[in-house]
Amino acid sequence: MDVFFSSYGFLLAMVVQQALLGLSVYYPLLAGQLSLASIGFYSLGGYVAAIMGTHPALAALRESLGFWMFPLEWLCALVLSIILGLAVGLPVLRLRGIYLALATIAFAQVVNVTVLNMPIAGGAVGIFAIPQAFDSRLAYLFFFGPLLVLALAVAFRLERIGPGRVILSIREDELAAAAMGVPTTYYKVLPFVWGCALAGVTGAMSAPFLNTWNARQGTFDASVACLAYVLIGGARSPWGPVFGAALLVSLPEVLRPLRDSRMILNGVVLVLACVYLPRGIVGAFSSLSRRMRGVKEAAS
Amino acid sequence: MTPAWFIQSLLNGLSIGSVYAVFALGYTLVFSILGIINFAHGAVFTLGAYLTYALAVGSFGLNGLLAGVSLPFTLPFFPALLLGGFLAGLAGMAVERLAFRPLRRRGADALLALVSSLGVALILVNLIQYLAGAEIYAFPADVFGGLPPAVIFRVAGKPVAVRTAQIILFAVSLIMLAGLMWAISRTRAGKALRAVAENTDTAALLGINVNLFILGTFFLSGVLGGMAGTLIGTSYGISGPYFGVAYGLKGLAVIVLGGLGSIPGAVLGGLVIGLGEAFLPADMSSWKEAVPFVLLFAVLLIRPQGLLGERMEQKV
Repeated sequence: MDVFFSSYGFLLAMVVQQALLGLSVYYPLLAGQLSLASIGFYSLGGYVAAIMGTHPALAALRESLGFWMFPLEWLCALVLSIILGLAVGLPVLRLRGIYLALATIAFAQVVNVTVLNMPIAGGAVGIFAIPQAFDSRLAYLFFFGPLLVLALAVAFRLERIGPGRVILSIREDELAAAAMGVPTTYYKVLPFVWGCALAGVTGAMSAPFLNTWNARQGTFDASVACLAYVLIGGARSPWGPVFGAALLVSLPEVLRPLRDSRMILNGVVLVLACVYLPRGIVGAFSSLSRRMRGVKEAAS
Repeated sequence: MTPAWFIQSLLNGLSIGSVYAVFALGYTLVFSILGIINFAHGAVFTLGAYLTYALAVGSFGLNGLLAGVSLPFTLPFFPALLLGGFLAGLAGMAVERLAFRPLRRRGADALLALVSSLGVALILVNLIQYLAGAEIYAFPADVFGGLPPAVIFRVAGKPVAVRTAQIILFAVSLIMLAGLMWAISRTRAGKALRAVAENTDTAALLGINVNLFILGTFFLSGVLGGMAGTLIGTSYGISGPYFGVAYGLKGLAVIVLGGLGSIPGAVLGGLVIGLGEAFLPADMSSWKEAVPFVLLFAVLLIRPQGLLGERMEQKV
């Protein structure tokens, strides 16, 4: 077991971290809004933590706060993500469907070029030697774990309470919801900003975890991966992004013996999953269990 | 702002913008028929560049499975461009068969087509890397035969240089754009294609083989993407298997700027973005990659239907 954790600890923490990013895409999808902006907020949150953790001007503050510096970094990333999320979300969420997705792709690209042009963010090289919170990678589960529990709890609770049902009604039919008097923009911005905040804090936790931070954290491929977690795992249950991340993050590791051709197989898995698991892993499981229960009831 | 700088930027912008237009039309054709964006278009763009390189140069780099392999023949540039485009068109058809048709048959969520087309893109890009390696490929300087590398003339005493590659980019793009517009507006097949784009069910009832036209659209889209990839590759070099990702995203900015599904819109959008990049002052050149996306963002906020797009009515 010790060997398992020492060799796969990083992978385990990585799964939880990517599941958080998947959930940040899942929230706006609750209101039927496909946003690929998460990765931009993740990248920004990481830069906030990396700069606060390494900038010489803040050395005295780090000295006096000690470990509490990390929560302060999360807080700064959170506040920045919420402000920026509102600024981007309010105009952009008037757009529908593919336009929204394209606008958020554009946002993430602009963030990328902007950080590359800011001297404080270290240019193309990025920021490295970010102070570590723990000695082992696995211990970062103390950061990511509680955040995942919180994010899942909010997602499950939302299905039960009023505002959550209003959000779901927008996904089912935005026009009908608006006709019923729902302020749709407000209820679209709410899950969007919550997703942005989650991505920003995840980024702030990830900068120490990954030790270095650069513009490659915010690429288009990475944002697509987040969407893939949700769709492959199942977009109708909060467990979807978790299962999706577990499968897609560990897949390249499992396929490692295949070396160079493993990424080709990764693509094959994506295509097959879209065709054969249109409702994701969770959807496939729930219809399977329903069928088994049906068989049992028929037998009794 | 000297007149020479103005003329130089204008020529640079028109040349690259016309290729953006050709590439973006590949997105537009598929979008106007299926209402879906084909995210594998950037990978087909890359594939086209590699295929033409292989046909024109005949040998591969030092890494990858094909290292040291050389073709028994090489083609002059223009036949290689056409054959490379044709093969990229076949790849476009493969994308439709693998990523789009299975989902359409099952009536799946449109979002899934986004992921499945990205899956196919992942397969294509990594297949290229597996076969040809991750290195940079540059077309040899004499790829156009005996033509001089550049034409230089003077404007108000200052030299303006137009590279031969840029002239070829512009000329080939114009021919392709004109040919495509003629085919869509004047031929019988073009008429049927417009009918399918208007309404697939009605078109099917009128006896049009819808699946065949969708496959044909993907072929055309692949040809446009592959030839655009080759043109950019000859001018700027092929920077590796991920060469198409940045252009793929830029192409999205082009079609949104012009108006999704609008053919003149894609042409206008390509030229606007090409000129926008070219006229960026030299001291801001590190922001060049942001130009298409800032324009995209701005147009979505001010005029979401794009410059030439029609406002879509909301139906209940």
